[in-house]
Amino acid sequence: MRTRTALVAAATAIAALTAGCSSGDGGDGGKAGEPVSLKFLSLAWQKESVAANKEIVDEWNKANPDIKVEYIQGSWDNVNDQLVTSFEAGDPPDVIHDDSPALAGFASRGYLLDLSGKLPADLKSDIPQAAWDTVTFGDGKGGQGVYGVPFLQESQVIIANRKLLDKAGVPVPTPEDPWTWDEFEEISKKLTKGDTFGVAWPLKTPVNKVLNLALNFGGTFFQTDGTKATVKVGPEEREVMQRVHDQLYKDKTADPSALGMGTADPLPGFYAGKYAMLPASVYLRQQVVEQAPPGFEWVTIPPLKGTSADQGAASQTLSVAADSKHPDQATKFISFFLNSTNQAKLAKGDWLLPTSVKAASDPSMTTEENGWNVATASAKNLVVAPYLKVNGFDEWKSKVATPALQQYFANKITLDEAAKTLVDEGNKVLERYNK
Amino acid sequence: MTLTAERTREPAADRRGRPKKSRQGRETLLLMLPALIPVLIFSVGPLLYGIYLAFTDARSGRNSVTSFVGLSNFGDLLTDGDFWASFRIGLIWAVSVTVLQFVAALGLALLLNENLRFRAFTRVLAMVPWAMPPVVIGLMWRLVYHPNAGILNSTLQGAGLLDHNVDWLNDFSIALPAVIVVGIWTGMPQTTVVLLAGLQGVPRELHEAGHVDGATTWRRFWSITLPQLRPVIVTITSLDFVWNINQFGLVYVLTQGGPGGQTRLPMLFAYEEAFRYGFFGYAATLGVAIVIVVLAVLGLYIGRQMREVS
Repeated sequence: MRTRTALVAAATAIAALTAGCSSGDGGDGGKAGEPVSLKFLSLAWQKESVAANKEIVDEWNKANPDIKVEYIQGSWDNVNDQLVTSFEAGDPPDVIHDDSPALAGFASRGYLLDLSGKLPADLKSDIPQAAWDTVTFGDGKGGQGVYGVPFLQESQVIIANRKLLDKAGVPVPTPEDPWTWDEFEEISKKLTKGDTFGVAWPLKTPVNKVLNLALNFGGTFFQTDGTKATVKVGPEEREVMQRVHDQLYKDKTADPSALGMGTADPLPGFYAGKYAMLPASVYLRQQVVEQAPPGFEWVTIPPLKGTSADQGAASQTLSVAADSKHPDQATKFISFFLNSTNQAKLAKGDWLLPTSVKAASDPSMTTEENGWNVATASAKNLVVAPYLKVNGFDEWKSKVATPALQQYFANKITLDEAAKTLVDEGNKVLERYNK
Repeated sequence: MTLTAERTREPAADRRGRPKKSRQGRETLLLMLPALIPVLIFSVGPLLYGIYLAFTDARSGRNSVTSFVGLSNFGDLLTDGDFWASFRIGLIWAVSVTVLQFVAALGLALLLNENLRFRAFTRVLAMVPWAMPPVVIGLMWRLVYHPNAGILNSTLQGAGLLDHNVDWLNDFSIALPAVIVVGIWTGMPQTTVVLLAGLQGVPRELHEAGHVDGATTWRRFWSITLPQLRPVIVTITSLDFVWNINQFGLVYVLTQGGPGGQTRLPMLFAYEEAFRYGFFGYAATLGVAIVIVVLAVLGLYIGRQMREVS
């Protein structure tokens, strides 16, 4: 008897404790006019970008004493795990900085708030539809929704050594008349001399790069039949893979030792003249500006053209958690944070492209200095990447595509073998998500 | 706790019969309650919940509906090539780390057992890896293995053993051995300490008797030290095996299971399934499967050792 009483007492105590916790959590919600506080998880990491983020948050806090925003520093390395656990625990940050590939999964699991109809008209019209497409996903229950505001996009350009181009008599192309892949291969051959390779392909994480560039030849890698997605590797998809492989092993114009490198790793060799051209994302310009030795001349070359110059685009986004207790205030904060003036600041801080049309026409975004004009012009080639809409893409990427592409570019398997793995193993992975 | 309870209960029962016994039993239970509640809430509860999850299709998400699926997760697991690859890597890792760690630790323990100068100091020094959290060890070794700035590459090149930088943790064939070396280094202190304690329990007279009979050092080690150490060896190697196969933090920091899954230990695999892809039910199945495997391996190993002893 006494045991049971004790057990009951203990259980009551624990119940009271947990109830106390949860009511403490919800305590600050409620009536309009009362000051509320929002948690803002930011993933900015470059110094200038963190400074720009904090500056905008301070500005907001000064203008809106009723809606206090707390800046929380996150990291791209572990944001997925951090968000999944906080979503499951029911206490996520109110405003979440992430990118569109991640949003697809979160949206279909119901973690994010559908923002359609909640955003002010001037913000909606300032961002082109192509960018909104990168954040429009199924809600997992048959509907569609807008699960974030896209604000920064990246495109793939080529950063080149000016002196080596001049010496070989290669003129710098304009965004209106870019190089085709064939021209690029010819020029790589011209630039390969002695110890210098024409190009370095850093392909440590090859998947997104290959998939984004594959659209140059119309390669989508996925086909959707209703709601069911399957992998496809046909002639269009193989084009870019084959061409990069040829540069490595047939033309020998690409340095094979750069293969295992991450995006920024070839920079020391690039400054030393080991490679003349470096295909890279626009943000790499920042590191070149900061680290290049004095007297080093470089130039940004517009994206290459296959059958088109289209590139797959993903965007960085701000979203509101479905569990947020102050969704309206959070949406208001996002609308302020991403107005065109602030977007120009953020884009400059991260050396990426703003989605806002007004921000893109800002003089600082169109200057020839540091290739900003070329970078900003490349935004017109961005189309929504097909893989964004594929449920299970993340697992396909890490379990199937990354090893398969790494082995293909290391010349350990043939293109046919790589294609077969991507399709067969890939469809097995996707099947789990199609159930 | 149970032992003392048993001991106090039995004589009382003998003397006064049943009713007294059950009342005392109830009192014991009541006294144990404060200690029992946290164990039930924080250990037994989650464990049972984990086992329950293994039989459901639980997924992450606010709009996911969990239903009971019986053994289908286990069926999927048996046909999952990625699981078997990860399981194979887990076994290679656990067996090689445990064995090599044991050999290295035994050597170190024998050395520290000798009457050397600065013995106290070296004994403390041998404990250093134990004082570090796995995440710090992982970060430190990542710097050691760094392809361009790492001390390992520059040392090997300085000694003329290597002519180009090796990316230790990203090379398909070197990554696993490189991680195993870190595993051995990390676990050596506790193995060394336990073996050292065992060595000090070996009676000196046995060695003296062997010496008098003219046995060589090697012979004395083989026929006296090792058999005397046997219970200690069985204990520490089986504990090491369990620790190693369940290792997570160290490898997560070092490689996150890469490159291309070459160092994806079973626990990393389960973690990815749960927190990256959101298949909680399947990940729980993996956990249960590993528990079964560990119990089976230990049962066989310890059972055989016990039989040999008796």
